[in-house]
Amino acid sequence: MTVAQATTISGHALGHYLLLSAVLFVIGVVGFTTRRNMIVMFLCTELIFQAAAIAMIAFGRFHADVSGQVFVIFILTVAAAEAALALGLVVLLYRRKETLNAEAWSELGET
Amino acid sequence: MAPTILYTACVGSAIALYLLLRPAPGSIKVVAVLLGLAAIGWVVKEAARAGEPGEAPVLIFYLFGLITVAAAVRMITHHRPIYAALYFVMVVLSSAGLFLLLEAEFMAFALVIVYAGAILITYLFVLMLARQVENPGEQMMQPEYDRLPREPAAAVMVGFMLLGVLGDMVLGGVGELPPSPSRLQQRLAAVEKLNLLPRRVEAAVRAELGRQTEALVLVDGDGRRVHLAGETVYVNVDGPGGIQQVTLPEDALPENIEVVGLALISDFPVSLELAGVILLMAMFGAVVLAQRQIELSDQEKQAAANAEAKAAQERGR
Amino acid sequence: MAAAPISGLLAASPLVAAGPAGVPIAQDGLGFYGLILWLPAISMVLCGVCAALRVKSKLPAWITVGCLGASFGLTVGLYRAYESPVIIPLLQWLNIQSGQLTLVADFRFYVDSLTLLWMLFVTGIGTLIALYASEYMETDVGKGYSRFFAGISVFLFAMIALVAADNLLMLYLGWEGVGFASYWLIGYYYRKPSAVAAAKKAFIVNRIGDLGLLLGIYLIWHNFGTVQYAALFEQINAGGYPDETGGWSIKAIPYLLMLGAFGKSAQIPLYVWLPDAMEGPTPVSALIHAATMVTAGVYLLCRMLPVMGLHDLALPTVAWIGGLTALLSATIALAQYDIKRIFAYSTISQLGYMFMGVGMLASAAGAYHVFTHAFFKAVLFLTAGAVMHGFAGQVDLRKISGLLKMPGWRITGLTMLYACACLAGVPLLTSGFFSKDAIMAEAFVAEAGHGYRWLGIIGIVTAFLTAYYAFRVWFRVCAGEPHFEPGEEHHDASGRPRGEFHPHPPRLAVNLVLVLITVGAVWSIFLKRWAADMVADSTAGAVREAPAHAAGFWADPHLWMPWVAGTVGLVGIAVAWYFHLADRKAAERLKNALLANPVARLLPLALQNKWYVDEVYHATIRFPLWILGHILNLFDRYVVDLSLVDGIAKIPRALGRGFQPLHNGILHSYAISMAGGATLVAVLVFLLPQLVEFLGGLLGGQG
Repeated sequence: MTVAQATTISGHALGHYLLLSAVLFVIGVVGFTTRRNMIVMFLCTELIFQAAAIAMIAFGRFHADVSGQVFVIFILTVAAAEAALALGLVVLLYRRKETLNAEAWSELGET
Repeated sequence: MAPTILYTACVGSAIALYLLLRPAPGSIKVVAVLLGLAAIGWVVKEAARAGEPGEAPVLIFYLFGLITVAAAVRMITHHRPIYAALYFVMVVLSSAGLFLLLEAEFMAFALVIVYAGAILITYLFVLMLARQVENPGEQMMQPEYDRLPREPAAAVMVGFMLLGVLGDMVLGGVGELPPSPSRLQQRLAAVEKLNLLPRRVEAAVRAELGRQTEALVLVDGDGRRVHLAGETVYVNVDGPGGIQQVTLPEDALPENIEVVGLALISDFPVSLELAGVILLMAMFGAVVLAQRQIELSDQEKQAAANAEAKAAQERGR
Repeated sequence: MAAAPISGLLAASPLVAAGPAGVPIAQDGLGFYGLILWLPAISMVLCGVCAALRVKSKLPAWITVGCLGASFGLTVGLYRAYESPVIIPLLQWLNIQSGQLTLVADFRFYVDSLTLLWMLFVTGIGTLIALYASEYMETDVGKGYSRFFAGISVFLFAMIALVAADNLLMLYLGWEGVGFASYWLIGYYYRKPSAVAAAKKAFIVNRIGDLGLLLGIYLIWHNFGTVQYAALFEQINAGGYPDETGGWSIKAIPYLLMLGAFGKSAQIPLYVWLPDAMEGPTPVSALIHAATMVTAGVYLLCRMLPVMGLHDLALPTVAWIGGLTALLSATIALAQYDIKRIFAYSTISQLGYMFMGVGMLASAAGAYHVFTHAFFKAVLFLTAGAVMHGFAGQVDLRKISGLLKMPGWRITGLTMLYACACLAGVPLLTSGFFSKDAIMAEAFVAEAGHGYRWLGIIGIVTAFLTAYYAFRVWFRVCAGEPHFEPGEEHHDASGRPRGEFHPHPPRLAVNLVLVLITVGAVWSIFLKRWAADMVADSTAGAVREAPAHAAGFWADPHLWMPWVAGTVGLVGIAVAWYFHLADRKAAERLKNALLANPVARLLPLALQNKWYVDEVYHATIRFPLWILGHILNLFDRYVVDLSLVDGIAKIPRALGRGFQPLHNGILHSYAISMAGGATLVAVLVFLLPQLVEFLGGLLGGQG
């Protein structure tokens, strides 16, 4: 589809996308704060990224600007880098305590 | 749409999500699902009623949206991490569909390839690497930390308060946005982009004129070759019969992927380089982190030292 | 007799009228004499270095003696080069110009004959006493020796700054400096609680006086716009000074300065610190608390004599306070047994004479008495110090006898005899006789007024008492049969004597210094005319016109007073001889007889207990302050500390306790906190305006 054939979406439709993005974001936050498996917690951060990506694309579409998509490329980059590093860390942590429970790592607490 | 409807729906879906997070019998889960669906449906219905008739998104948006939300909810409620990851793949796929709806084809496919194809596979590998040692006799049981959520009430409360505020913001905010660029403005922008791609213009002109080999002289007008008159896109070609105006076909205009690429290298070159650096560093970091570190106890160290000394003695002899 | 306004007298005096107006500033050549001030400072620094290097020899003493000797030599040189008043600039100190106000106070010497007189005896006696101390303090070599001589150097530095200053601020600097050095040296034996208490007492009592001086200086600056002597005297002599504050701020100046002088020179009511100051090492008592520092008050009044005329009754007050102090402390001295304390009270008494002299405008006589007193009182203290040194800290005059007949003590006994004679005012032979007579005679001069005649009678009575208690000491300690008991220092910590005791008589340095200062005392007899001229040539030279010498012996007090005073002194000595040499039991018998009588017994008790002045001060000043202090202490402890300071400190702690559960180290809690924070921010930013609008609408709708 060429740009010239593009149609714009209305502000009303944009609201739908943004609401969906917000819902995904909140589900990601709730997942991050309730799940205790470290890997699933990282998956939830990916969900948050997803929500941001949808909002970006929707805005880019609304403004007929490709910057939104460019930003999503960077989000993908960061997500990939984060996945590589975070998963490496998770593997290390798992080797230490033989568990994926994030609560096993609470030595920094004050109580 | 009145904010009260939004808040009520938030409360309802919050209760639904809370019930789904807690370990509970199936009937309650069904009630929770129904409650959540009702909340979503109510909001959608109210939202559709609020907008102008032609403004609502196409029906397929609702389909993809519902799949996305459902998959996301299932992802955070499923006890088995592998399934959570697979549900996340589902979220990615359906949001790729949404991207298609938003005419971001390149991003849709990139998302599927990079996320679903690469990142999620890494997750799955790690999940398998970090698998609990199973006792063969025992029934397969997920560990306690996967089954029981932590502080679901607080988390859901905070999350849905945020959702209420965000939703209110979104619904109130989109009405105040400046209008989206018109078709003509978008065409003008596309022509400007096309001016940055001379070879594409030349190829289009050759295709249009059927002249594949002869020299082609495009006339510049104040630095531009491609012009826009009304809806038509044309170029001036200096030929034997004087200056000739050539109208370009619609598909001569750049496509989405071309525009994205152009933007990346013309508008965000430094960011692009930085992204490359980030990926490189992440690779180094992952390599360093994933190295297995062998930890020796004191006894083992002592034994190793003794062995070394012995070997040295023997060599000396 | 009508009291002539003294300011009028001052203005009428041709000497003052000639005044210090336009005192030239020495351009060059004399700046070299700044070393008089800097040498003691250098000595102090070197002594400090010695202390830091833990020098275990008498090096600090030789440094100090050398520097002070050089300083004295330079002072003599300055005296010989002196022709007329001159200002020697040393360095710039304060030079403030702010709108109409100026405050100029530089380090500059104001050299006139009064300054020179004081500088000569301060540096001279200071050098000799430092030499004496080099032997006296030898048991402390390697311990406090450097500290002691650093203190002496500080004192000399401050004292020279005090007497040589060309402005009141530099004088005040020196004033505080000598007070500090005095505190330092009284508390030299800082392990002894009584010495520490005495040091604190001296410091605090002096502070009252210093406050007066400071306020006086401020008022002078406020009214006259300058603190420099030359400009100040010029304005006062011109008479046209502003009087915009209704006069009180000008009239208060002399009284405030007087308060400062009373504090430093131990006059009623601030004399109580001086007897206690005898806790310091004896050279300190001799130098600071007898010869030099305590005369700073007299110097201040002499220097500020034109200022003292700003209120008519100021100088008579000085004279009366001086006379009463002289009598009071002489009576206390009668009943003391501690030699150093007797001499301390006699110092207060003699200072009283000096104030009497200055107050009666006989400043030349007063200054001459300062000069002679510096010598003989130094000798008295130094001999007392020699006795203490030789008899292991023995200061009780009942426990030592017959010093003259002991081997090696002859010089001590004889110099003490001469000094006691000076104190007693033995006619013709002693300097004290001439200087004291000059003061007392002034009281009977016909135009004096203000009841000065009674003051003269008080002076004569005091002279009798002085002669008695001075010779009481000498007859007890030096005459009679040899007998001694060693003092406390001979005992070890458990109170047992450390083996057999042998008194060790003074050696070369002590004897040399005693002889030198005694020679100085003798020599000062012949300096009466010189000292009078020195004072008369300066701004203190407000000598009244000598009354026309009326015909006849009894008409001129300056003629008959020597006879009266001499007789009185000899009678006092005779009484002392009877009670304390001829029949030593008689004193005890008299005392017992007095004690047996229920009314008369109050007298010896009161004398022995110093008229209960310390107790009165304790009850009227210290006790209320003590109560107030405790109340404030409670206030501080319970209101300020407990509720304000600790209470405020407890708030963050309580808050921390409240939020502590959030820091449980579990990632989810932190995540929830973070998300909750973000939510709160979002709520505040987006919902609060709506809420306010909504509430506003609600209220508006109701209204």
